[in-house]
Amino acid sequence: MILKKSVYRTLKEKKFQYAGVAVLLLLAVMLYVSLSMAITTLESRNETFSEDYKQESFHFVAGGSVTDEQLSLWEDEYNVTLEKRKYADFEVDDSTVRVFTTTESVNTPYIAEGRAPTSGQELAISKVYAEKHQYQIGDAITLDEREFEITGFVYLPDYIYMVEQMTDLLADAEKFGVAVVSSSSFSVNAQTEILGWTGNGDVPDGFREAVSEETSLLQFVNSEENPRIGFVETEIEGAKGMTTTLPLFILALSIAMVLMLMKRRMEMQRKEIGTLMALGYRKKELVRHYLGYAWVIGLVGTVGGLTAGAGLSVPLSNLYANYFNLPALSMFDWDPFVLVIGFVIPLLLLILLTTFAISRTLRTEPLTLLRPKEVSNGKKSWLEKLPLLQKGGFIRRFRLRLLVRNKARSVYIFIGVMFSTVLLLFGLITFNSMDQLVETTYKEILKYDYAVHYQSLMTEETDEEQSPFIMNELGLVDEDVKITAYGIENDNAFIQLSAQGESLQSNLSEGAIISAPLAAVLGVGEGDEIHLQNSLNSDTMHVEVAAVADLYIGNNLYLPREELNDFLGFPEEAYTGTWQKQPPENSGNVYMVEDKQKAIDNFESTTGATRASVAGMAIFAVLIGVIVLTLLTNLIVEENSPSISLFKVMGYHDKEVSKLVLSVYTPIVLIAYFVSIPLASLSLEQTMNTLVQETGFLMPTDVAWWMVVIGFIVILLTYWLSLGLSKRKLKNVSLQEALKKQQD
Amino acid sequence: MAIFANQVNKTYQSGEVTVQALRQASLEVQDKKIITILGPSGSGKSTLLNVIGGIDRYDSGSIKVGGTVLDQLKDRELTDYRRKFVGFIFQQYNLIPTLTVEENVEVGRELSQQPLDMKDTLEKVGMWDKKDKFPSQLSGGEQQRVAIARALIKNPQILLCDEPTGALDEETGKNILKLLKFVNEQYGTTVLIITHNQGIGEMAHSVIRMKSGEIVDSFENENPVDPEKVTWS
Repeated sequence: MILKKSVYRTLKEKKFQYAGVAVLLLLAVMLYVSLSMAITTLESRNETFSEDYKQESFHFVAGGSVTDEQLSLWEDEYNVTLEKRKYADFEVDDSTVRVFTTTESVNTPYIAEGRAPTSGQELAISKVYAEKHQYQIGDAITLDEREFEITGFVYLPDYIYMVEQMTDLLADAEKFGVAVVSSSSFSVNAQTEILGWTGNGDVPDGFREAVSEETSLLQFVNSEENPRIGFVETEIEGAKGMTTTLPLFILALSIAMVLMLMKRRMEMQRKEIGTLMALGYRKKELVRHYLGYAWVIGLVGTVGGLTAGAGLSVPLSNLYANYFNLPALSMFDWDPFVLVIGFVIPLLLLILLTTFAISRTLRTEPLTLLRPKEVSNGKKSWLEKLPLLQKGGFIRRFRLRLLVRNKARSVYIFIGVMFSTVLLLFGLITFNSMDQLVETTYKEILKYDYAVHYQSLMTEETDEEQSPFIMNELGLVDEDVKITAYGIENDNAFIQLSAQGESLQSNLSEGAIISAPLAAVLGVGEGDEIHLQNSLNSDTMHVEVAAVADLYIGNNLYLPREELNDFLGFPEEAYTGTWQKQPPENSGNVYMVEDKQKAIDNFESTTGATRASVAGMAIFAVLIGVIVLTLLTNLIVEENSPSISLFKVMGYHDKEVSKLVLSVYTPIVLIAYFVSIPLASLSLEQTMNTLVQETGFLMPTDVAWWMVVIGFIVILLTYWLSLGLSKRKLKNVSLQEALKKQQD
Repeated sequence: MAIFANQVNKTYQSGEVTVQALRQASLEVQDKKIITILGPSGSGKSTLLNVIGGIDRYDSGSIKVGGTVLDQLKDRELTDYRRKFVGFIFQQYNLIPTLTVEENVEVGRELSQQPLDMKDTLEKVGMWDKKDKFPSQLSGGEQQRVAIARALIKNPQILLCDEPTGALDEETGKNILKLLKFVNEQYGTTVLIITHNQGIGEMAHSVIRMKSGEIVDSFENENPVDPEKVTWS
C-alpha cells in the first residue's frame, strides 16, 4: 500500500516522539529478557550442580563422636548416604578461609580450573576468593604457619552462597572463602560435621530423633533452612517476580504512550482519514495503514529489547554466578519461551490495543472527519467553573484552563513522574535501610562483640564479662515456620531489645519479644499468641507476644532463660552460648564463634555494589522520566502550535510563551512527586513483607528527609531537562502556523 | 452515470438548533454531463453532493446513482460504491502532505480495478514534471490538479467537486474548470460541481439552484460556454 510511505516519512519526521516510545518498549523487553535469561541460567547451573555433585539434604554436628559403624547403621535404616567432613577456619590477610576435607559421596567439590589437591601440601580454593585476594593457581597460601600450594579453583555444592555464619546476610569473598584439601592433610584441631544425602532433599522421617537419641545434637540443618544452599533459590524466586513486575509496568507505560501518540496522529490526520474514506478506502485498510506505526514501534522495541536483553543476560548471569559461587557448568542457558514471551506478548498487546484505539476513531463518519473539529462547544466544564479558575490575570487563567482541559495529559504526566519517583525512592530507601539495619540491629540492639556457641550444654557459672544464653530452634504448631528461640537474662548488657529507641527489656516478664521478620512472617503483633513446638519431643508452649523489637534479621524469639530452659527440659541455669566483648580464650569446648564486627564489615563492604545498583536505578528512573515527560511536553507544543504561533505574532517572547503553555504541568509534577513518597515506602514495605519468609530479614522502609530532598532535586532536574528539550520545539513553531490553521 | 434524487430530506443538529439541510430535494442528472449546483452558503448544496457521494446519509427520500440505490446501503456497501463509482475533489485539495504528487495519485489508483495510466493521467493534468514534488512545494492550482488526478485515475463514473475553484484565483480556477471539462469529454465522466460562483454555471450542461435546502430552479444550458469564457465572480 502506497500509504506505507506516509508512515515511514511521518516516523522520520517525528523521530524523537516515536523513538522515545520504542526505547520505553525496548527497556521493558530488555529488562524482562535479560533478567529471565540470567535467572534461567542461574537456575539451570544451580540444578545441575546440586544434582551432579550431590548437594547435601542435611548436615549435623554431634556433641560426641559418631562412629563409622553407627553411620552405616543409619544409612541402611534410613536409606541415606552419610559422610563425615572435617573443617577448620584460618585467618588469612584479615579474612577467614574455611578449609574442608574432600568428600566423595556428598557435597563433592567441583574443580573448575587446575586440579584437585592430592598431597598434604596442596589445596584448591574458591575462585571468587582467589580473585579478590589475587591468588593464582600455583601460588602458595599460608594457613596457620603451614604453606599450601593452590592447585585449582573449587566450588562446593553446600557453599553456593558463601557466608561464614548461617546468620550472615551478605556474602563477601573479600572476608570469607572456602577451600578443600585432601583428607590426609588434616591434622589440625578440626570440627567434624556429618553430611547426609537422600536424593530428594528431604530428611528421612525419624532420622533426626534417632540421631539425638544416640548423641547430643549441636546443630541439625536441613538444606531448606541452610542459606548457603537455599538463598540462591530464594533469590531466583524473588528475581522471577521482578522479571515480570517492573517490565510489565514499563510495558504498560509504553503502550499508553503509543496509544496517546496514535490518538494524536489520528487527530492531526482526521482530514486525511476523511478524504481516504471518501475516496473509498475501507476501514480495515485504514486500520492496517495506521497499525504501521505500532508495528514499527513494536518491532523496533521488541527486537531491540530481545537483542539487548540477550546480550545483557551474559554478564548478568556471570555476575549472579560469581555472587553465588556457582560453577559455569553451562555457559548460557536460555529458555526459548522467554524469547517468545518477550517478543509476542508486547507486540500482541500493542497491536491489539492500537487496533482498538484506531477502530474507535474510524467509527466517525467521513464527513465529520472532513470538517474541522469543533474545538469547543462554548461550554465550560465544572472544573473550569471553579472560582479558583476565574481569578487572577490572563496568564494564570490561561494556564489553569489548559491544565483542566487536558485531563488525560495530566494523568499521564502524573503516572510518569510517579513511576520515576517510586523507582528512585526504592533505590534510596534500599541504600539507607542497609545502614539503618546495621545501626539498629548490630549497634543499638546487639551490644556484644562475640557470640560463642559451645559444643555441649553448659551449666558452669559465667564470667562477669559474659552473658549466658540458650539458643534452640523451635517449630510452630500447625505452621511450617522455624523459629530461633533465645533464652536470655533480663538484666543482660549484651542484648538491648528495643523499638523506636525505647527499651523493651522489661517486657520480657510479660511474654516473648520477637524480631520484626518473625512478626511479619507470622502476621502477629503485640498481644497475640504464638504456639511453640519443641522439634524434638513435640512439647508445646503458648506464649504471648509482649513486643516486637526493631531487630531486622532472623526469625528470632526472646524469652527469659529459665522459661525456655524449662520448656526444653534443660536445667534452669543451662546455656548453649555466651555473649561477650572479648574473643574466647579457651577454644576447647567452643563449637562456633560469631564475630559481630565481621558481620558489620560484610555489610559495609557491599555498600559499593549497593551504591552501583542505586545509581543504576536512578539512571533508569531519570531515563524513563525524561522520555515520558519530554514526549508529553513535546505533544503539548504540537497540539498548541496555533496558539503558540498566535502568541508569537502578538509579540509574546519565547520565554513567556513557554511559561504560558509548557510550565503548566509543574503543579502536577509536584503533586505526583509528593504522593509517590508514601506510595514508594508502602509498596517497598509490602514487597519486603512478602519476601521475608524466604529471606529471613526485613529492611526498614522509612523515608528520611534527605531522600525527599535528593528525590525532589532529581525529579525536578528531569522535568527541567524535558522542558528544555521541548522549548527547542516551541522556538521552532513558525509565525505562519496560526494563519495556516485559520485557513484550514 | 445518471443520478436520480427523489424528495430527499436531511436534517442535522448544530448546537441546539435543528437545521433542515435538504427539503424534498429532487433532481435528475443525465449520464456524461456537467452539472453545476449553485447557491449561497447554507443552501444545502454541499449536503446534496455529500449524500449523492455516499459520505453522508439522508433521512428520507431516495437516491439512485446508475443502478445503485443508496437508500438502504450499509457502511461497507457505501464504501464500495464510492470506491467503484465516485471521485471526490475538495476545495482544500486534501492531499497527503507526506506523499509526493505521484504517490498521492497512487492512493487513488490503488482503489480501482481498472485504473487509468499514471503517466497519462499526470500528463493530462499537467503534473508529470512535478511528480516527485511534495504538496507543500506546489501552488494551490497545482495541488488541485493533483487532487483531480487522484480522483480521475480511479476511472470513476461520477466526479463530485465541492467548490473546486473556491481557493483559487481566476486564471488558475479557469484552468481547473478546463480540466474538468476535458475529463468529462475525454472519459465520459458525469461531473457535479457545487459552487457559489454563478459564472461557472455557464459552462455546465445543466444548472441547479438551491436555497434553504430546496431546489428552487433547474434548467438545461443549451450552449455551454468554454470555461475560458465564464464570467468569474
